[in-house]
Amino acid sequence: MTPVRATFEKRRRAKYISHLDLMRCMQRAFRRAEVPIWFTEGFNPHAYLMFPLALSLGYESGCECMDFRLDGEMSMQTAMQRLNAVLPEDLQLLHVAAPVRKHTDIAFADYRLCLDCAEGTKAEDLRAAWDAFFAQPEILVEKKTKRGTAMVDLKASAEVLMTQTLEDGLWLKLRMPAGTSVNVNPSLLMDAFTAQLPENIGTGMLHAERLAILCADKTEFV
Amino acid sequence: MLFDKIEPLLLNVQKPARYIGGEAGSVMKDKKDVKCRFAFCFPDRYDVGMSNLGMKILYACINNRPEYWCERVFAPDRDFEAAMREHDVPLYALESLEPIRDFDFIGFTVGYELCYTNILNMLDLAGVPLLQKDRGDAIAPIVCAGGSCCCHAEPLADFFDLLFIGEGEELNLEVMDLYTRMKEEGATRQAFLRAAAQIEGVYVPSLYDVSYNADGTIAAVTPKSGAPEKVRKRIVSDFDSVTVPKEFVVPFAEIVHDRAVTEVLRGCIRGCRFCQAGFLYRPFREKSPEVICEQARTLIANTGYEELSLCSLSTSDHSRIEEMMDGLLTFTEDAHINLSLPSLRVDNFSTALMNRIRRVRSSGLTFAPEAGTQRLRDVINKNVTEEELLRTCKIAFQGGQTSVKLYFMMGLPTETDDDIRGIVELAQKVVDSYFEMDERPRGKSVQISCSVATFVPKPFTPFEFHPQDTREMIMHKQKVLEDAVKGHKRIRASWHTPDTSILEAVLARGDRRLSAVLLEAWKRGCVFDAWSEYFRFDLWEEAFAACGLEMEFYASRPRSYDEIFPWDHMDLYIDKEFLIRENEKAKQAVCTPHCRKQCANCGVTKVTKKPCFSYQKEENA
Repeated sequence: MTPVRATFEKRRRAKYISHLDLMRCMQRAFRRAEVPIWFTEGFNPHAYLMFPLALSLGYESGCECMDFRLDGEMSMQTAMQRLNAVLPEDLQLLHVAAPVRKHTDIAFADYRLCLDCAEGTKAEDLRAAWDAFFAQPEILVEKKTKRGTAMVDLKASAEVLMTQTLEDGLWLKLRMPAGTSVNVNPSLLMDAFTAQLPENIGTGMLHAERLAILCADKTEFV
Repeated sequence: MLFDKIEPLLLNVQKPARYIGGEAGSVMKDKKDVKCRFAFCFPDRYDVGMSNLGMKILYACINNRPEYWCERVFAPDRDFEAAMREHDVPLYALESLEPIRDFDFIGFTVGYELCYTNILNMLDLAGVPLLQKDRGDAIAPIVCAGGSCCCHAEPLADFFDLLFIGEGEELNLEVMDLYTRMKEEGATRQAFLRAAAQIEGVYVPSLYDVSYNADGTIAAVTPKSGAPEKVRKRIVSDFDSVTVPKEFVVPFAEIVHDRAVTEVLRGCIRGCRFCQAGFLYRPFREKSPEVICEQARTLIANTGYEELSLCSLSTSDHSRIEEMMDGLLTFTEDAHINLSLPSLRVDNFSTALMNRIRRVRSSGLTFAPEAGTQRLRDVINKNVTEEELLRTCKIAFQGGQTSVKLYFMMGLPTETDDDIRGIVELAQKVVDSYFEMDERPRGKSVQISCSVATFVPKPFTPFEFHPQDTREMIMHKQKVLEDAVKGHKRIRASWHTPDTSILEAVLARGDRRLSAVLLEAWKRGCVFDAWSEYFRFDLWEEAFAACGLEMEFYASRPRSYDEIFPWDHMDLYIDKEFLIRENEKAKQAVCTPHCRKQCANCGVTKVTKKPCFSYQKEENA
């Protein structure tokens, strides 16, 4: 049995696949590809697949992780080729390797967010609004958790790595806490921002992409 | 391509994966390489439509031809529809994401009367004129439909250029071939429709004039421009070798029946008098166990599904079912595949078959006695006896089952209050048979659910002459049922308000004057009528009033044997004389044996020119 950590991308049409649907989609891909995956034992055996960090609906990514175990002689590379042949073109494995870090090592994730201006809004006004928004000492929002709602200070959680004004929008690179214990979705920050916008400034679509999954020491989760 | 226009709308609607395509198994082609584009429309939501086997079959048939491209289209849910209308996004197909108004064919599959308003809504969203007469001379797009409702689709007559009657695997391609040729020659829509009407199985409603008597019944249906007097349905030339999909589009989002499906037989030998499908899909044809297993295996390999289901009107009527089950179980068990078996009959549910099913994980058993008393079961020719039902339930109980679901109808011809009370009496006997067992599973008790639907008389059945029970009659019978079930704590009975069944009955036996009513109802906001949260019977009543028509005329009026019915110019292989004979036998509560025992001369052999079964020896049921 060979443990495998696959890195895959989720783009264009595939970014609307929900996390639950992704699990089913991958299980079926393994069957189509005839890749011998290890099945759990017990009353209701199922293909063992593990996604250490969920991706929000609508986010693109080139760094998603999926763990599985090969049960048999097939090499990781062959498994990847066979899976890619049966997966949709917008959902493809990029590389496979033996897992190094534990799932619980995941601590941060980096994102690129592009927020379009609404018609009539100038990019520099949107930029100024963002700067004012993020200059606040704290940005408190309610976050739904499994146990109810909790207050989160997004100012303390988010690290802005880069801000850039585009022709018709705003370009941000953010580092957010991620993982099994604390996980902060950058959409929370965007929602808080758009909710506080002055009336004369409007926004359009948000283009979001996860750029990296990181461990506590800021090295890539591998 | 509309991707950039669609994208900003998706994150604000429920389950956006339904609107963006890109699934494994979806067929992509370059439109420069194709001569004819077919938008295959299902007039309900993605999760319902993606479960439809007919759509998967025809999608494969068309896409197997390199020069044709078939794409899928579903009815958007109300939230996405609103977003589409607000942002001027026309109805598009999921593969290319291009507007379907630019396609050659816009084809609907119509299997249920209560989806008719969705068809109008989808045409409107597509930006295509709703009425056939408004579509002009340009040949494209041809708005067409197929599916079981098309054999009595007169209420849809004003909206469609042509209808496919019968099985589409070969017919659809013949019509597309003709279209492609005539389009290259620069033919008009009307010229194409006149030519298409000569193909067996094609019905062009605009080529028929309908006149009416003073009492509202039909005086005559007159074909024009060389259209045939009677439109005969098509069946495929060879069922065992007909095209089947080697793969399915495997959805990301969960759908109603999310599994591989293999068709095992077509048609039905039973002749239950209420059942339209039992007559429409004749003659009875079955695939060999070898073909079934091979097709199932291929489908599982190509889809990656973890569940396989068999499709037919009555799977246990397959003459070689045990061979078939052995073959299927051998490979499904090895590959961790669940096998599910809908459509089993009570009377030939053997212990051997039960043992095979027990090897499969099962979530309870469902049987359809349809009527509570033997007399009424004889009337409807449901050849199931109480003993057979109890014996089967006992086998199931011994196999560890503790819940049984029973399906019934109310409003059947000749039905009395005693027949309604018989439903509860029969369910109680099933309960009793559980407690008669020496060894019962500990900790669990038996639960019988009776689901009671309102009967809808349908064309091409012996009950096509019958009035549907009025609302008052149905409400009374529901009360009788409610009273009868009181105090039986192991029996649950459920039923619905009769309104949807009344509308279904109206549309099922309606004439083409109902096209105007459909249009009125849709304009008033009727859509998704099959979904109780959207169903607005009051708006339908308004629409009928606005058109000067009455629902009672269509639903609850007795029809004489010599009346001309709106579907009489359709030839479904079934003789009207046969239906009359069967109706008379129903009144006497006399059964007709199933087709394997004895040919009932329904009319099929007059067309096929050969007996459906060899009757030399007595075959086992």
